[in-house]
Amino acid sequence: MFFHITLERNMQLHPRHFGPHLRDKLVAKLMKDVEGTCSGRHGFVVAITGVEDIGKGLIREGTGFVTFPVKYQAVVFRPFKGEILEAVVTMVNKMGFFAEAGPVQIFVSNHLIPDDMEFQSGDVPNYTTSDGSVKIQKDSEVRLKIIGTRVDATEIFCIGTIKDDFLGVINDPGAAA
Amino acid sequence: MSMEPFNRLVKLAARAFYDDVTIKGENQPKTGRGDNRGMAVIVLDALTRRQWVREEDLAKALKLHTKQLRRALRFFEEEKLVTREHRKESAKGAKIFNAAIAATGDGQQGTKEGDEKMKMHMHSYCCLDYAQIFDVVRYRMHRMKKKIKDELDSRNTIQEYICPNCARRYSAFDALQLVSMDDEYFHCENCNGELVAESDKLAAEEMGDGDDNARRRRREKLKDMLQKMEEQLKPLALQLARVKDLPAPEFGNLQAWEARAHAAAQAGGDSNAGDSSKNSQAQGYSGTPMPFLGETRVEVALSGVEAKEEIELDTKPTSMKVLPPWMIKQGMNLTKEQRGEAKPDVKVEQSSNSVDEKKSNVDKDDGTSLQDEYLKAYYAALVKRQEEQEASKKLQEEAELATDVSEAPFDRHVGMKSKREDDNDNVEWEEEAPSTGNSGEESYRLADLNVEADASDHDDGEDGIDWEEG
Repeated sequence: MFFHITLERNMQLHPRHFGPHLRDKLVAKLMKDVEGTCSGRHGFVVAITGVEDIGKGLIREGTGFVTFPVKYQAVVFRPFKGEILEAVVTMVNKMGFFAEAGPVQIFVSNHLIPDDMEFQSGDVPNYTTSDGSVKIQKDSEVRLKIIGTRVDATEIFCIGTIKDDFLGVINDPGAAA
Repeated sequence: MSMEPFNRLVKLAARAFYDDVTIKGENQPKTGRGDNRGMAVIVLDALTRRQWVREEDLAKALKLHTKQLRRALRFFEEEKLVTREHRKESAKGAKIFNAAIAATGDGQQGTKEGDEKMKMHMHSYCCLDYAQIFDVVRYRMHRMKKKIKDELDSRNTIQEYICPNCARRYSAFDALQLVSMDDEYFHCENCNGELVAESDKLAAEEMGDGDDNARRRRREKLKDMLQKMEEQLKPLALQLARVKDLPAPEFGNLQAWEARAHAAAQAGGDSNAGDSSKNSQAQGYSGTPMPFLGETRVEVALSGVEAKEEIELDTKPTSMKVLPPWMIKQGMNLTKEQRGEAKPDVKVEQSSNSVDEKKSNVDKDDGTSLQDEYLKAYYAALVKRQEEQEASKKLQEEAELATDVSEAPFDRHVGMKSKREDDNDNVEWEEEAPSTGNSGEESYRLADLNVEADASDHDDGEDGIDWEEG
């Protein structure tokens, strides 16, 4: 799920950037550092929407670096257990398939794929129903439900299922000609 | 099964869920020697008949080793069926507890007596926790059903993978990052062996084959399991429904229960029929444990006498019932009607006369202290008896019957009734012969008996006293 929250970070700035555009340089550095990263607590930082406050810089002893405490607002994405997402299939395996919902990777094991869908290997491995009406292959869009998340310090993984009602393939890719 | 709903619930739950629990420790795994599976059920059943009980007493009652019982109780404590309390007590403290148990009428008396050690031992007490049992059983059944239903329907389970070579286990989370190689299978980190999916624990079938039939069979198996479970747990579920609205029996903390039991005992003692002061003295819950200990023995004697007295008193006002011969005890004041004999039998006559004598004694005793009166009566009886024995010897010359008859009741003891009967029969036979020659049986007997009544009465009294003190 997406959230818009206020975060804080201590930015270190090299003295060569000191000058009239100190603030802009600081913000640019912040964006470069933070956007696209993931923290276990907040989730993936998708985009910084604005800088709220930049505190007084503190010159470090020994080096000339200056530390600024920066408060900023950002859009973050954090998946939760029980959440329903749309994802794009990236890899199909005998043990299940991998899908991506933005920055987060989700694995759906064949255990949690409906019983009527069987794996078919080949140059395009896929899961397909017995009558061939529904097919899951690479680049298919799939709606799935997250049944477990594993949160490390800097990474989040999810396990999903498509066995419940209203889950499964949304949109077949161009392969179903 | 007991009809009290909560006890029945406990018994049903014990037999449903805990009938294969062994309480033998890990040191004796030999089943050849006979493991005591199902002992847990016995323990729970025993606990339904008691409230707070010391574990040593329970072990003795169930003929179990203390350690095994403790293991079982520890298991039940973890299952939240039983609450336990441990406290350091001297031997005296244990006596208080025994008193409390006696008051609740469970009949578990203390073991040793009069031990004056001041050593503090750790005593453990346990009690069933009915409110928790109700919740625990409901939760267990709910979880069982949920597990099967999950397996059947949506199966929101996180897959686990096992490496067949090095037996290392992986979760689906690991599979995501660590083990995804472009090889269509997951490989173990160490040995690169192919990981096998650990499928439904309940259905227990290979997940690898994408066989339709396999999956359908698994579903069938799960459905069967669910159905069997519903069926077999139906009585338990019914009992749960019945018990749902009732308040659970609450025994509270060990100390609170003991205090309550003491209070109940005191109240019960005071309201007893008969001499209230004597009763309370006899029961001795005067608050301090020492007097109670001291009076235990005395209590038994007194209450025995009291009980007899009460019986005698009770029989006076009520209409006389016919008592069967096996109910007749030594010293019971019974009229001939109570003896159930219409004919004025010898022993009946004598006993009826002795009743009059004894009643006069009893009336006297009511007013004053019992013991004093008994002593007086005893000595008086002794003196009289000696006189009477002399008189009876004289009577013997007059008629043999007299002595036979008088001797018969002298030897009257509870266990020797049959002898007496025989003697009486003999006596009767002999009696009838000369009595035919007499003017009237009754007059003859009365004449006889008036002389002997005192003797027999005193002998009765003497015998009675002997018997009581014995």
